[in-house]
Order: sequence, then structure tokens, then C-alpha cells
Amino acid sequence: MRLTIASGAAAFTAAFLLSPLFGGGNWFWTSLGAVLAVMGAGLLSSRLALPAWAAPLVGLAVTWIYLTFAFTSDKAWALLVPTKESVVELVRLLGVGWADIQRYAAPVPDTEGITLLTASGVALIAIVVDLFAVRLRRAALAGLPLLALAMVPATILPDPISWPAFILAALGFIGLLVADGHERVGRWGRAVLVRRTRVPAGPPAAGSMPANGLRLSGKRIGFAAIAMAVLLPALLPAMEPVSFFTFGVGGTGAGRGNSISIPNPIANLKGQLELPEPQEVLSYTNSDNIPRYLRIYALDTFDGQQFGMTEPKGAPQNRTDNGPLPEPTGLGAGTPKKNVVTDIRISDQIERLAFLPLPYPPRQIQVDGDWRADVDTLMVFSTREEAAGLEYQVQTSEPQPTADLLDSIGDREPNVDPRYLEVPDSLSPEVRQLAADLTAEAGSRYEAAVTLQRFFTTDGGFTYNLRTQGHSASALRDFLLRDRAGYCEQFAASMAVLARLVGIPSRVAIGYTGGVQLAGRWSVGTNDSHSWPELYFEGVGWLPFEPTPAGAAGQGSARVPEYSQPRPEATAVATAAPTSGASSVADDTPQDPQARRNIRELEAEGQAAAGTVDVDESMPLIGMIGIGAAALALVLLIPAAIRLVTRTRRVRSLGRDDAEPSGDRAATASPGRQPSAVVAAWAELDDLLYDYGIARVPSESPRALARRLAEQYELEDDPAAALASIAAAVERVLYARNPGRIGPMRQDLRTVRKALAAWVPRGRRVRAVLLPPSTLRRLRGFGERLLDGFDLLETIRLRWTAAQKGS
Amino acid sequence: MAVTHDVPPQLDELVSTAHRIRTAIESVIEGKSDAVRLTLTVLLSEGHLLIEDVPGVGKTMLAKALARSIDCPVRRVQFTPDLLPSDITGVSAYNQQTREFEFKPGPIFANIVVGDEINRASPKTQSALLECMEEHQVTVDGDTYRLDAPFMVIATQNPIEMEGTYPLPEAQRDRFTARVAMGYPEPTAELEMLDVHGGTSPLDELEPVATTAEVRALIEAVRGVYVSQAVKKYAIDLVVATRHSPDLRLGASPRSTLQLVRAARAHAALAGRDYVIPDDLQDLAIPVLAHRLLPSVEAQGQRRLPEHVVSELVRRVPVPETRAS
Repeated sequence: MRLTIASGAAAFTAAFLLSPLFGGGNWFWTSLGAVLAVMGAGLLSSRLALPAWAAPLVGLAVTWIYLTFAFTSDKAWALLVPTKESVVELVRLLGVGWADIQRYAAPVPDTEGITLLTASGVALIAIVVDLFAVRLRRAALAGLPLLALAMVPATILPDPISWPAFILAALGFIGLLVADGHERVGRWGRAVLVRRTRVPAGPPAAGSMPANGLRLSGKRIGFAAIAMAVLLPALLPAMEPVSFFTFGVGGTGAGRGNSISIPNPIANLKGQLELPEPQEVLSYTNSDNIPRYLRIYALDTFDGQQFGMTEPKGAPQNRTDNGPLPEPTGLGAGTPKKNVVTDIRISDQIERLAFLPLPYPPRQIQVDGDWRADVDTLMVFSTREEAAGLEYQVQTSEPQPTADLLDSIGDREPNVDPRYLEVPDSLSPEVRQLAADLTAEAGSRYEAAVTLQRFFTTDGGFTYNLRTQGHSASALRDFLLRDRAGYCEQFAASMAVLARLVGIPSRVAIGYTGGVQLAGRWSVGTNDSHSWPELYFEGVGWLPFEPTPAGAAGQGSARVPEYSQPRPEATAVATAAPTSGASSVADDTPQDPQARRNIRELEAEGQAAAGTVDVDESMPLIGMIGIGAAALALVLLIPAAIRLVTRTRRVRSLGRDDAEPSGDRAATASPGRQPSAVVAAWAELDDLLYDYGIARVPSESPRALARRLAEQYELEDDPAAALASIAAAVERVLYARNPGRIGPMRQDLRTVRKALAAWVPRGRRVRAVLLPPSTLRRLRGFGERLLDGFDLLETIRLRWTAAQKGS
Repeated sequence: MAVTHDVPPQLDELVSTAHRIRTAIESVIEGKSDAVRLTLTVLLSEGHLLIEDVPGVGKTMLAKALARSIDCPVRRVQFTPDLLPSDITGVSAYNQQTREFEFKPGPIFANIVVGDEINRASPKTQSALLECMEEHQVTVDGDTYRLDAPFMVIATQNPIEMEGTYPLPEAQRDRFTARVAMGYPEPTAELEMLDVHGGTSPLDELEPVATTAEVRALIEAVRGVYVSQAVKKYAIDLVVATRHSPDLRLGASPRSTLQLVRAARAHAALAGRDYVIPDDLQDLAIPVLAHRLLPSVEAQGQRRLPEHVVSELVRRVPVPETRAS
């Protein structure tokens, strides 16, 4: 009975961990009902003494009835008994729920289907827990299904599991273990155990004594384990739980250098777009007052389902404060450029953003902290800093290609990393066919790109819709060929894939659109989160395209770049180049080699200091190890420090008596002061002996101690007398009516220490300084008192329970 | 030395008087300073002393030497199997002249009573001492007679394994403050004994060195010795430990706590201290507590005597400290 209830409670508390996944509260009540149903089934099985294998079947049956009642009662017979119709309806709902889960990113709304799925999942877990804990009597094994439940939010959400939910779930599991232990002990009768409390607690409350000690220590261990599990990760900065569960990012890096934790950009994107109240993410001003897309991530790998990011690498020479950033890939000198200076201010509210939102391509950044640029993608990121609240200035030299220029590139082979062209073989042939069909008429890569963009924005009949189609292998095909509805993620990814299929290197950028202008500043909010493809053209570099519909029916602030506008015919679009180029592009060409030379110089410097270059990547690791070791050493030295402080304090209190004008009257007039010095001396002597491993036996009086030490260590007259004098003073203070006048003891103490130190082996002395056992003993004493406190609470609880029973 | 302490004048006097008595006794008993010291301690703590040992080691000599060295009425009772209670307390006899019953005081009416071989008398007679020892009074035929202070019973007994002995009842044993074993003398002490006391009885030459009034003053001074709360608590801890020891069937009584602290006062005073320290209690724990305890069957089987149990308890019970450690 107890065990059944405990296992149900454990399953239910573990289900709390799911709460961040849901937007509503329906799932909670339905799951509670499901757990109660399973518990009822478990009780029934126990009552009927069914074999272990039958209990899960009963549980399943009861769960089925419960779900029928909760979801399809109108189709069931007498609301409860499943009929053919109700089964069909249930299966349909499950399908809907499955589709919903595919469609939504967390937190999901609790639609009926999702609630059904959740409730049945929780019920299944509860059945398995019941099977392990109650039927097979392996309560510890029941932790596995619970752990599986806990893994769901941990893997899906970028955030770590919230600690209150974790504590709750852990308590549920401990409750299960306690119940199991109780049953186990109860079966064998009374446990003969002694409580550790020294105070005889009077006559034991009848009936409440068995297994108390066991339970108590079990609870203690449990609480301690939970506290450690919650506190320890918080104390260790390196063990940020996020980095274990990053999705869609990284994985292909060589694993060297500092790793960075990147929340799933796509999940974030979706979550931000769906926020009911858009929040400002950043604001900026720039030199020409034209809104620009601000890129945060560039996703370069495509696995057939979604785009992911190669772990960026930030070499020390690419730190933002080392001057200009690396050259943008492929941007040739022949392309007109426009220099823009943008001042960006990130909102304080942004959490865990380790990448800077920047217009592309950044040339130079003035920002505080250790920010580094990835050479390949020009993403700027930090392994230590966060962007929240940051203000920085970025200079960009934006390529200003004209359609003619891009056309003139013709079919020059792009000279980029082949991963920008990689498409998995498993990609649906229909999609390949589509890409080929669309671009059959295009004369150049550029024309193909424009055609693709036009396909998405106008020709293809696509609609903007935030209900996603998920990332399954068929999602891309569905989006392109069937639904043709999605939001920027689908548009960007699909266009990037199609571009790759026609031989244009592509990647997906994630960041923000230019936002709206408010009081002279461009304000970018969470609703401006965006994703767009960047396509590569030799000589021009990476150019953003915009397949996502703009305006009210699409991504509100999306803008289609001028060069990607389809031309009616080959007209004089070239006028665009002089208008923008004449004003600010004038000094571009001379600056370019300049910048390049700077980088060369930097490289040269780096090579000159070859030693530092080699260890550059590993430096942080060694540094981390060093810092870790130092921190460990510091932690280990804490007892020594405590000992030192204690000793200093005691010696000082000894010294006070030294300085005091001696006189019997003064001494007797302030009895509180005299003892403090003596007590300090005695405590110091006690600790000293403990540290030296010749500790005082608790039953040894001061006098006996002095006698023993003097005999055992054959102390000379001086130290023996000093020791006797300390002992006599202590004796007086502790036991005499009037302690009389007590002289300074500092010298005595020193004499004794010296005399004893001569007898103690060196290792012991070193240990006494570095890792003083007396402090450890004190810490242990503190722990004991803490446990005594727990005991007290437990006693109060027991009394209360006894009183309850009595009344 | 860093410590200076003023000893009260009456303590000085006590120490010197006690020293005189000690010297006097030790002139008779060679090499038994511990037993002598304990005897004095019991005297000053208004207690009674039980001297237990095999025959011929000087039990009676010690008792008589103490009695002699103090100038006070001393009576000696030889306990025999046919001794009756009235032989000790006294009887009411009919006076034919006054035609009234008159009380004839027994040997108990003295300052120091030496009860020789107390366990040779029957328990009935032994019990006659109960009231006298605890309440310092005698009740005969409904009349109660006070005994003079100081009043001390020094009883000697042979170990109970000896033939012709009755073991003392627990209640009787509990009334003795301390039990001391004489032990055989060291060979050198025995040699000296032969040399010095070969011909004459040393007791004959012993002159009293202290008066009753002096002893009373000493007892008064001992009462003034300070016992801190911590030490009192330590005494209780020790006694309570005997009650909880699995090796003991019968632990020490509250009376023994009282007597332990009293004896500790005297012990401290004899050392010239006006306050009791745990060492006093530790020194006295075995003589004061051991004879009251009954070992459990297991302890008996292992031949663990109550003395051993007590000394182990003393090693285990922590001494009181005022600092919170």
C-alpha cells in the first residue's frame, strides 16, 4: 500500500520536471489523474495478489479506461467503457498530438492531443515505476524510468532543469526508497538500532522506535545528496548544464580550445517570435541611418533535416581588440563597398548570448572584453563574456554589388570550403528535381539565386505561418512541395538547400532584422528575430537574400536586398552603384590593402612569438587547469587559514592580559576577562596537541595532561613548568571559586609548543600547519551540531506524530 | 610560575595539622602513605572507613594509630559471631535504687569507633551500625541519643572469601565512605618494620597530636572548600556512569555522590587547595565507589572486579570544561 502510493508520488513529482515544456496547466491535472488511475490499478493488483507480470497489464487497462473517460467519454459506453468509436477517436487524438508536438517548439500549448500524449506518457512511466518498485521490489531501478522522464525537458530545452522541480522530483524518488526500506525492515520485525543522540530521550514513544535510526540516516543521506546535487553545479562554473544539451550546433569541431555553449538557435528563434509581448533585444544607430540585418549565427552544415553550426574557433590573434578582423571571405577589391559605423546597445534582459549581433561583414569592433571572431564566418563570440548590457561599435564595409556585377561573375567556380555545398545523399529526389526545374532557365548562378528567391516570395505561392512543420526528413519536402507554409526558418533553410543543389554555396544566418526606428534609434525586438540565407558569389563574398515574405502577412520588418530584386530586363541598375558608392566608398580601395597588411603584421608577430602561437589554443585549457588547481589549493587551505585566524585571535587575547596592568584587584574585578585569556590558551594547547597527534583524552584533567606530557616527552624543567603553569591557570579558571591573578601565558605557550615540536616528526608538523586536524575536527563538530539539529526536528516530529496518534 | 594564589589561613592550619597526624600514623605503619592519606580524607569528610584485606597486614594497626593520634574518646569493638546489637549500641538496665530503667551506653558512644573484623558478626549485629553511621544517633527503647562529633567508624574486615565471615549487606556497605585495601608492604618497608618495631609495640609510643576541637575545626574548614558546578556535574556523570554500565548489576547510590563530593573536598583541602578539581574525584572514585557496586554475572565470569569497571569509567567520562569545544 505504502509502496504503491510512494511509487505513484515519485512518478508524479518527476512529471513536474515537464512543466517548462507546456504553456498551459491542463496536462498537469490530466497527468495527475493518470497517475492516480495507475495507483488505483496498483492497489487493486496488490489487493488481489496478482502475479507481478499481470500488474502492468491491469495498469495499462485502467489507464486506457481513464484516458477514454478523460478524452473520449462521449464516444464511450457509459462514459467509461471503451467502444470501437472511442478507440478510433483516441488513436486519432494521439496522431494529432504527435503532429502538434512536431509542429510546435517548447513551450507548447496544451492542446488536447498533446495533453493526451503527455498523460499517457506519464501513466506509462508510473506503470513501469510501479512494476519495478512494487512488483519486483527493486525500488532503486525505478529511478531509471524517472530519469528518462527527467531527460525529456533536459534534452529539449536550452535551460537547465529548474532546481525546485528537481528537488521535488528527487524527494519523490527518495520517498519511494524510504517506503521501500520501511517495507523491507517492517517485514523482518523491529530493527535494533541506537539513535545517535547522546541525550537519553526518555522512554521511547511506543511503536515509533523501530527503524527510526535507519530512516533518519537514510533521510540525512538523501537530503545531503539533493543539496549537493543542487548546490555543487552552481559552485562549479565549468559544469554549466547547458553545454551538455546543445542541439543543432557544433560537433564537427576538433574539440580543441574553449568550448562554448550555444542554445539551439532555431528553438530560440521560434520561441522569440511567439512571445506574446515583444521585448526589445537591442537598439542601434548607424552612420547612414538605414536599417540593417544583424547576424548572430551562421549555420553552415546541413544534415538533411536542419542546419547546424560548426563550432566557431576564435584564435587569440582574432580578438576584437587586436585591430581589424579577418578579411571577409571572397570579397574582392573590385566590388564597391560602403563603410558604415554602427553603435549597438544590447538590452540587459538578454540571457546567455555569447555571440554579438553584427551587420555583415564586420571589419572592426570596439567592445569591452574578450571577444573573438571566427575567421570563416566572421561570427564574433566569447567564451567568457555575455552580451547582455553590452555597448559596442562596429565598422562594416558592406559590399554594394549590382546585378550586372553579379551577373558578370558568371560561372566562376566559388572558392569556398566544400561544406557550404554539401547536401546529404538522402535528400529527397523530388527536391533535387524542383531545384533543377526552377533554375533550368537561369543563365548564371546569380540568376539562379534570384529565381529561387522569387520562387519563395512570389511565384511559389508560399504563405507565412508560425506553425512549424518540424525538422523531420520530410519536413523540407512537405514545405517545398505540399504545404508551402512556414516561417523564416523554413524559408531560409529551403532556399539555402536549393541554392546548394544548384551549385551556389549557401549558409543560413540567424539574427535580427533591422527593426523599427524609435526616437532616432533603431529598436530591435524579439519579434524581429529572423533567419535568412546567405549565398556566396566569388569576388563579392557572402550576400544575404530574403526569401521570407515581408510585411503584415510575413516577417514584418524583413527587407529584400536591392541586388536580389528581379530585373525586368538588363537596365541601368548600375546607377545604384554610383549613388551609394560616391558618397562613402571613395576611400575603400586604399583601405583594403591597409587592413590586410595589418593582419599580416599581426600574423608575423604571432609567428615571431612562436611559443605563444603554439600554445595559444591550449593556453586557456592550461590556464583553466591552473585556475582549477589554484582554487582547489585554496579550498584545501581553508582549514589552515581558519587555524591561523583562530590562533592569532587566541594569541591576541592572551596578549591583552599581557598589556593589562597587573594587580589582584583588577584581575578579580573583571572575572570575565581573565578566563577568556586562559580559555584561549587552553583551547590553543588542546588544538596544538590535536594537530601534533598527541591529543588530550577527554577524561584527562589539565593537571593530568601536564603530568603525562612532561613524563611522556621528558620535557625539560622550563617547558614542564610552563605547561604546569598553564594547566594550573586553566584549573583555577575552570574550577576555583576565584581564579586569582593569572600572569601572561603567551611565553609559556610558546615554550611548550617548541618543546613538543621537537618530539613530533616533521611530516606531522607540516600537516599541522597546512591541514590542521583540529580545524577539521571543529568542522566535523559543526556538522555534528547540524545533524543534532536535524535530530531535534525529527524528535519534535515524532512527538507530534505520537501526540496525533494519542489524541 | 605564572600562577599565584592565596591559600586561606585555616587551610594552612589544616594542612599542618593533617601533616602532623599523618606523620604520627606513618611512624606506626610503614610505606602505606596512600592508605593513610585516604584515612585522613575520610576523617575530614565526616565519613566512615572500611579497611579490607587479608589478615596481618596492619588493618587494625592503622585504625588504632589514627585513633591514638587524636586526643579523643576511642572505643574498639571486636566483632564476633555471637555479638549482639545491644553490645554495640548499649542497653537499658533496671536500676534497683531508682527503680527506673537506665541507659548504659555501648561502645558506639565515642568519637572514633574501631570495629575489628566487622564481618565476623552476623548481619543482624552489623545492622546495628546503620543508624549510628548515617544519622550519628542511637535509638534504644524508643529513646534517641545523639553521638558526639566527630564520629567515625573505622571497620576492618577480611575478604569475604575467608572462612567464618558474613558479607556486609549492601545497605551497610553503602554507609562507608571509602574502602581501602592495605596491601602487603614493600620489602624495604617490611624490613624497617622488623628493625624498628621488632621488640615493642609502636602504638605504645604514639602520643596524640591533635585534639577533638582541632579536628572539628578541620572538618569545618573542609566544608568550606569550593566545588564548582562543573565539578559537581562531573561527579554526577561518574556516578551515573556506574548505573548505566553493563558490567554492573548495582550502580552507585545518590548517597555515594554526596560522599564522593565530600571526600573530594577533604582531598582537595589536604592538598592545600580550596577548590575541588576533577583529579580529586578521579583519585577517589575507586575507594569511594567500588565497594558499593555489584558486578554483573558476565563481569563476574570474566573476573572483572568493580574496581576495574570504575577505573575504566574514569578513563571514559570526559572531564568538565567550560569552553564550548
